[in-house]
Amino acid sequence: MQGRVLMGAVALAVAFAIDDGAAFDATKYPDWKGQWLRAGSGQGAPWDPAKPWGPGQQAPLTPDYQAIFEANLRDQAAGGQGTDPSYRCIPVAMPRVMIAVQPMEIVITPDTTYVMLELFSTLRRIFTDGRQWPKDVEPSFAGYSIGRWEDTDGDGRYDTLVAETRRIKGPHSYDSSGIPFHDDGGAIIRERISSDKANPNILHNEITSIDSALTRPWTVKRSYRRDGNNQRPIWSEYVCTEDNRHVRIGSENYVVSGDGLLMPVRKGQPPPDLRHFEQAQR
Amino acid sequence: MRCRVVSHALALAGALALAAGNAVAFDPAKYPDWKGQWLRRGGVTNQATWDPDKPWGLKQEPPLTPKYQAIFEANIKDQMAGGQGTDPSWLCVPTAMPRVMLAVQPMEIVVTPDTTYMMFEIFSTLRRIFTDGRPWPQKIEHSFAGYSIGQWEDTDGDGRYDTLVAETRGIKGPHSYDNSGIPFHEDEQAVVKERIYSDQTNPNVLHAEITTIDNALTRPWTVKRSYRRLPAKEPVWSEYVCAENNRHVQIGPENYVVGADGHLMPTRKNQSPPDLRHFQ
Repeated sequence: MQGRVLMGAVALAVAFAIDDGAAFDATKYPDWKGQWLRAGSGQGAPWDPAKPWGPGQQAPLTPDYQAIFEANLRDQAAGGQGTDPSYRCIPVAMPRVMIAVQPMEIVITPDTTYVMLELFSTLRRIFTDGRQWPKDVEPSFAGYSIGRWEDTDGDGRYDTLVAETRRIKGPHSYDSSGIPFHDDGGAIIRERISSDKANPNILHNEITSIDSALTRPWTVKRSYRRDGNNQRPIWSEYVCTEDNRHVRIGSENYVVSGDGLLMPVRKGQPPPDLRHFEQAQR
Repeated sequence: MRCRVVSHALALAGALALAAGNAVAFDPAKYPDWKGQWLRRGGVTNQATWDPDKPWGLKQEPPLTPKYQAIFEANIKDQMAGGQGTDPSWLCVPTAMPRVMLAVQPMEIVVTPDTTYMMFEIFSTLRRIFTDGRPWPQKIEHSFAGYSIGQWEDTDGDGRYDTLVAETRGIKGPHSYDNSGIPFHEDEQAVVKERIYSDQTNPNVLHAEITTIDNALTRPWTVKRSYRRLPAKEPVWSEYVCAENNRHVQIGPENYVVGADGHLMPTRKNQSPPDLRHFQ
């Protein structure tokens, strides 16, 4: 079987090697057009959809990062934001964006697969042009992704996109419970994305995170669903900063109320220091 | 010439209709090669003005109605006094169409049979120009990128598409043409028409003729913009996250900033501090 897969892969590679601006044969790739949304349940959109949100995720964290996670949960339970910066319109980053709480689109071209996510208008480029890892990459919330296509069943068509993502900017977490990544920014995310064998309107993504805040690699299996009858899906624009009432002044988070006035977010929170205002000093 | 253009367009449309029906080969040779990284090109000043052939501000001479000219001038006065004028982008609200076509940061264009995607670094804006022959929807949810429908033209009759003709509606406001704050009408009924094509002698130059039709204007306003393609085989793409380290803070109608010491600061002389009545 392995030999057959290899021969198929070589055949496909040769077919595309001679593609010098010639036709891009879309039939060699899976049909992932359309609008995808996360499949399955999972209240609170937990990272591992097979387990409950928060401590129930049983993230394999080191003791240091387990302590950070628990302190974050206590803060959230007390009405704070924990370690999750997305309330300030900081993008949720890879791999969390692949929860796809809002729709996603995948556009396949020979050199790059684009994953366009409505959430925070995130654009991922998964480069499939055979490039090497660059020596110096500016970290970003989407990370830098290199991938390759595999024909795992040897039928002469690619069916699996294998991708690796590095250089992800922080701070970021796996989901809204705030499961943290290490602050060294060295996380590596590996994905195997493939269509369901029985239902082409289901996409699976096996996502493995390798991070110094973990005691071992952590793999979850996520799925996405497509409305196969909808040829012209509606795309929305997610603009977090529009009407975002969170205000950060120094290290404190406040909100602006409906009456346009600053409000505390917890009991006993001090107001902002107004030392720079002449009127406040009178 | 026109009959020849139409017949070639029909021939191409027929060929692609047959192709698209069975998801067979998409022939990129039929479309212009717009791959790579594009940046704005030219302009009489370093500032990114909407009409690149004219200076910034009032000298753009936008054909505004008297009411909107007054709004524009008041906005310029406010900017001169240190304010933000009418431009909301300081709050990290996207700059919207058509201003995003200034391409002050890089852009990428991906052509597929049904849709041409334009991906802009600035505000991570994504435009989809649908070329699948769809009619205008009866209802459009307004967005900063707007809703765009386009079609390809083979204007020189050589059997290859060379021009993307697009129309955009449903653009959300408030927005302006550039950072001088030239305003659009608040009715959000602007229509933006584009003709995008490669330079005839230099394939690394792209032109966009952009016509705006808006009720704040006395007539349609057309500008010609250009973009240059950077030569890197593996261009470096950056991520623009306006909210990261944005020190502007809006509380009610007032704009403040957070100073380097982490304390709130006024943005103009004698600005009142925020009302703290909700604090004990």
